Amino acid sequence: MNGPILVVDDEPDMCWVMECILRSQGFEVVTVDSGEEACNQLANRDFFFVFMDAKLPDMDGLDVVRHAHAQRPGTVRVVLVSGYHYHDDPVIRQAIDENLICGFLAKPFTHSDLLKALPTS
Amino acid sequence: MPDNDMSPNRFELLYGMLLDAIPSSVLLVDEKLHIVSVNRNFLLKSQRGEARTVGRPLAEVFPTIILENTDIERRIREVFRTGTSVKGQRMTYRAPGVPIRIYYYSILPIPTNQVMLLMEDVTEQVRLSEEVRRVERHLASVVESASDIVLSTDTEGRILTWNSAAEKLSGLSAHEVRGQYFFQFCGSNQQQTVRKVFMLMKSGNESHTTEFPLVTSNGDSILVSWVFSPMKDDYGQTVGAVVVGRDLAERRKLENQLRQSQKLAALGVMAGGIAHEIRNPLAVCYSAAEFLLMDNISTEFRNECSRKIQAGIQKASAIIENLLRFARPSPDTEMVQVDLNTVITDTLDLITNQARVQQIRIQLELEQRLVLVLGVSGLLQQVFMNIFLNAINAMPEGGLLSIVEEISEAEVAVRISDTGMGIQESDLDKIFDPFHTTSPIGKGTGLGLSICYSIVQQHLGSIHVQSSPGQGATLTVRLPLL
Repeated sequence: MNGPILVVDDEPDMCWVMECILRSQGFEVVTVDSGEEACNQLANRDFFFVFMDAKLPDMDGLDVVRHAHAQRPGTVRVVLVSGYHYHDDPVIRQAIDENLICGFLAKPFTHSDLLKALPTS
Repeated sequence: MPDNDMSPNRFELLYGMLLDAIPSSVLLVDEKLHIVSVNRNFLLKSQRGEARTVGRPLAEVFPTIILENTDIERRIREVFRTGTSVKGQRMTYRAPGVPIRIYYYSILPIPTNQVMLLMEDVTEQVRLSEEVRRVERHLASVVESASDIVLSTDTEGRILTWNSAAEKLSGLSAHEVRGQYFFQFCGSNQQQTVRKVFMLMKSGNESHTTEFPLVTSNGDSILVSWVFSPMKDDYGQTVGAVVVGRDLAERRKLENQLRQSQKLAALGVMAGGIAHEIRNPLAVCYSAAEFLLMDNISTEFRNECSRKIQAGIQKASAIIENLLRFARPSPDTEMVQVDLNTVITDTLDLITNQARVQQIRIQLELEQRLVLVLGVSGLLQQVFMNIFLNAINAMPEGGLLSIVEEISEAEVAVRISDTGMGIQESDLDKIFDPFHTTSPIGKGTGLGLSICYSIVQQHLGSIHVQSSPGQGATLTVRLPLL
């Protein structure tokens, strides 16, 4: 699948971190800082991949994903990035089981953790 | 005919009638200690007939035990000999088959070479006065056994009584304080207030409740909660005052422990928001450090990474400092001048993260000036923290938390509203009760608002709630302005 990577996080420095890592690997990156803007972006264009913060000031990250899935089923691949959840958090397990997200990345993370989350295809 | 009325016969009759009408026992005794005459009262009390009494020796009429105990025969002989009466002697007498009676008796010489033995039954009076003494002893021991200070004063506030609890707490004996003005034992800045309370009690009926320190014999002061009540006579005139005081040290200690543990429980509720907020700067630092390890980066990028690391550490450290400040026990110091706006914004800083993770917007309308109150800022912060957390918990689906401050003449009102589920009408009057909670087990202790209530009261303020189900809730905290 083509298109840039979407980074959603309300903390500008988190966007800066992820953008730096991904750009250094040659990816095109779009960053937004709210659930509403993320929904707009996801509705209007294709993204290769999405890094989604779990807790946004206006919406829950998983709700943004649900919204995107409902609008354009099967087109969005998402990793949830959060300092709020932990790896075996029931909420995360359930979201993975439901195919809502394809992975979870806990803050803080190493650069290779972030890159490993990306699909190889 | 009138002359007949004055006949000796008539006198005798009148004499007999008078004697019988006297509610005391009257006996006439001759020199040989024989009974010459008795009145009806005596016969009644001794349960004897006249025939078995009159003309008989005293020793036969009075029981041996009385004769021995009172030595009455010797006393009568003494009266015959000296001509001086014996007055107000006590005699206990039990006639066969009747309860014990107590008499006061007098032996009076009369000119017919007889003596009159006058016996007054005082059984009832003795019983009553014993009852009075018993009640008095009981009351005294109630006052003495109380662990609260109980003292009484005259209308001017001079101490009349001072119980042992007062002696123990103050180190001053009843003897030392009697007659002294009570206000002399109060802290210097309370003396005026205490004098005013005594003034008010002179004319009023109300009790006065207040808290201030009592100065002890070694110059220390202990915080006491006082109730002043006027003491009235049967005509409603104030004749003095009763002052009851309770040592607050122990209660304060427990209250502080409870407040502290509730505070830690509140910290638990905030944990999620705190985790989120600290892990963001940690993640930024972690990545920036990793960038710095790379070889081919520009000086400009290197500097940017360093700045991000510093800013991130500072941010995490600020969050931790806020937490520490909140978690630390509030020292039970004197109340000082506190800016309420600082208290509110500091508290908001702590819960902003929790609000954010629950998609709750915060609207803050504070007065654009210093809002000074007399208080302990750590305690006030706990009040607002509890109210904010309650509001946040009431909005699991997100909403609006609004904080509006309003100043009127002598007080400041802070209204904290949420757009949450509201409070059932049946719960409204219970929400300040300790341990009342509608939260599931493990989610709330039911102590938060009761602690708010006690803290606000300690600050001489008030706290009210307004709500209807589905319409959110508004809590209003009012505090007197400085």
